[in-house]
Amino acid sequence: MGSRALLMLTNFNFKATVSSFGSASNPFFLIKNNLRIRNFSTKTRSSLQPPDLPGLAETARISLAPNEVEEFAPKIGQVIDWFGQLQAVDLDNVEPAIRADTEGDNLREDVPQTFENKEALIASVPSYEEPYIKVPKVLNKE
Amino acid sequence: MASTLFRTIQIHPFLLYPTALFSRRNGVLYCTMKSSQTQTATQEKQQPPKVKVPQHALKKTVDKITRDYEAIIGIETHVQLSTLTKAFCSCPYNYGSQPNTNICPICMGLPGALPVLNSKVIEFAVKLGLALNCKLSLNSKFDRKQYFYPDLPKGYQISQFDIPIATGGYVDLDLPLEFGGGHRKFGTTRVHMEEDAGKLLHSGNGDYSQEITSLTSIYSYFSKHTVDLNRAGVPLLEIVSEPDMRTGIEAAEYAAELQRVVRYLGISNGNMQEGSLRCDVNVSIRPVGQSEFGTKVEIKNLNSFSSINRAIDFEISRQALLHSQGQSDQIVQETRLWEEGAQKTVTMRKKEGLSDYRYFPEPDLPEVILTQEYVDSISNSLPELPEAKRRRYEKMGLSMQDVLFLANDMNVAEYFDETLSSGADIKLAANWIMGDIAAYMKNEKLSINDIKLTPQELAELIASIKSGTISGKIGKEILSELLAKGGTVKGLIEEKDLIQIADPVEIGKMIDKVISENPKQLEQYRSGKTKLQGFFAGQVMKLSKGKANPGLLNKILLEKLNGQS
Repeated sequence: MGSRALLMLTNFNFKATVSSFGSASNPFFLIKNNLRIRNFSTKTRSSLQPPDLPGLAETARISLAPNEVEEFAPKIGQVIDWFGQLQAVDLDNVEPAIRADTEGDNLREDVPQTFENKEALIASVPSYEEPYIKVPKVLNKE
Repeated sequence: MASTLFRTIQIHPFLLYPTALFSRRNGVLYCTMKSSQTQTATQEKQQPPKVKVPQHALKKTVDKITRDYEAIIGIETHVQLSTLTKAFCSCPYNYGSQPNTNICPICMGLPGALPVLNSKVIEFAVKLGLALNCKLSLNSKFDRKQYFYPDLPKGYQISQFDIPIATGGYVDLDLPLEFGGGHRKFGTTRVHMEEDAGKLLHSGNGDYSQEITSLTSIYSYFSKHTVDLNRAGVPLLEIVSEPDMRTGIEAAEYAAELQRVVRYLGISNGNMQEGSLRCDVNVSIRPVGQSEFGTKVEIKNLNSFSSINRAIDFEISRQALLHSQGQSDQIVQETRLWEEGAQKTVTMRKKEGLSDYRYFPEPDLPEVILTQEYVDSISNSLPELPEAKRRRYEKMGLSMQDVLFLANDMNVAEYFDETLSSGADIKLAANWIMGDIAAYMKNEKLSINDIKLTPQELAELIASIKSGTISGKIGKEILSELLAKGGTVKGLIEEKDLIQIADPVEIGKMIDKVISENPKQLEQYRSGKTKLQGFFAGQVMKLSKGKANPGLLNKILLEKLNGQS
């Protein structure tokens, strides 16, 4: 259960930053010459709206108590503001990139390799019933 | 399937489902009343029941109604790639392995595990992109598609969103003659790479487990849910078609052509029963002449080409009937399941607005970069594809029926081609393969690669008959022996002394013998019972152990019977 909760949390963090950009031009993956970005002022006001926190929590399938919403809202707001600074970067002379990337492919040959420590994998499953992993019914809210 | 319906009723008693049960029981009654316009038709009520006769009657009426509407059909196809390992980890994948044995921290989505792309996935995607005449993106990327479902360990699927590896393109195909024939070209919007989810199963009270197709929230609330993660992370190519198809048969043939293409390319076994080729179909209809599209309905659970065909035609009828009854507002955007047993589609899940998958670029994987040299080298290594083969066979003068049969299976086509390159006559080779050889394979449940007869010996057999060395009848006998045991045509002819007797003197002697042994029949023949020629011919053939040249035999026999000798 521990790892599951951790997963949720990582997801949550991601979504907090990502979904708030919505369909905007996703500036954060255009960072190629990130050195340049650092040179920009740190106090550019964000034009991005702070997220609706209860709604955000719901999409990430985590429940927040009202006091937690109060606690997290400013923190999330800060993250948004931080990313919002990227909006100010002048990209007129920068070639658009699909990805922020390292050079060269990082590919793998199609050669099977069995993961040895399967017992540990199975042992970490919260609910296991030979040979299946038991899972919650449906997580989608429909 | 029946249990699915039953469970459905348990969960959503407030929806239409009780009506579905009602209409199943009262199908016959309904069908006899269907012409009445006043009857309120829910979408469940026009389903043809299993009873044969009323279904036929219903079909007639529906045919009449559907003539006023045009169907727009698009297909999303998922092809499971036959790589040895998964897309992003080195776990082997074999269909039918013990559940949860081919897993590792990466495909289980454990924290800290990082994906590394299998190079074969790119190779296969490029092959398919080229085969479908697509434009390839030399730079593409992976994205995360977020949704929460128990078969998806990471909470997102690695897929491609705004920049797929291939776009545009088309599929050429020829409709079978029994469906009216004709050539068709259907557009393909895109091909993208993604990973498969695990296999979700639910077990009821018994100890059996049944697979749940994705997103089936209608399934039992009360049964246990378990997952097998062997399939999680297995590479898929999704092919999205343009909405170019108009009938069930066109859609089924499109899917069949995709199956041929992936098999020719060797990138997937294309097996629909095992789920290696999965088709989701979108169907909408509009009155003929209208330019805007109607409401789109998605159909899932299509496990064969014929179910694609029948599910679509059912769905077109269902929607057309609603239209014709002024109830087009009851056609809603939803996902429906094809029920093979009941031969109808049923509501699986209503869509309320578009799902928000919150796509964003996958940060754990680099950009996918193809060089033009790489693409060219793959392009040069592509085999002759089904469409090219069909056009080539057509130019050889074969009938469309022969063309479709021979090009359908790559191995059969290869066998045919090899037979030709050993010098065999085109039409004769086609006839032998499609006739006796196909029948033998069907009876013995063998593929063409399993039979002992080599293409070279088939060519030899055809040549031996054509040259008159052996008779056609003997040829067939030799064939069955060659199919089962192998060997050479020449060897068998010698071993069994089967060379055709084409010497007129020798045949004449045998005829004389038969005539002299049957004076009574000769008398009858000469007094007008000329049908007895067949009797004499049979006796002579028997005497020659089937080796006499039949043409010669009949010619000489006739002379002798009518003559004085």
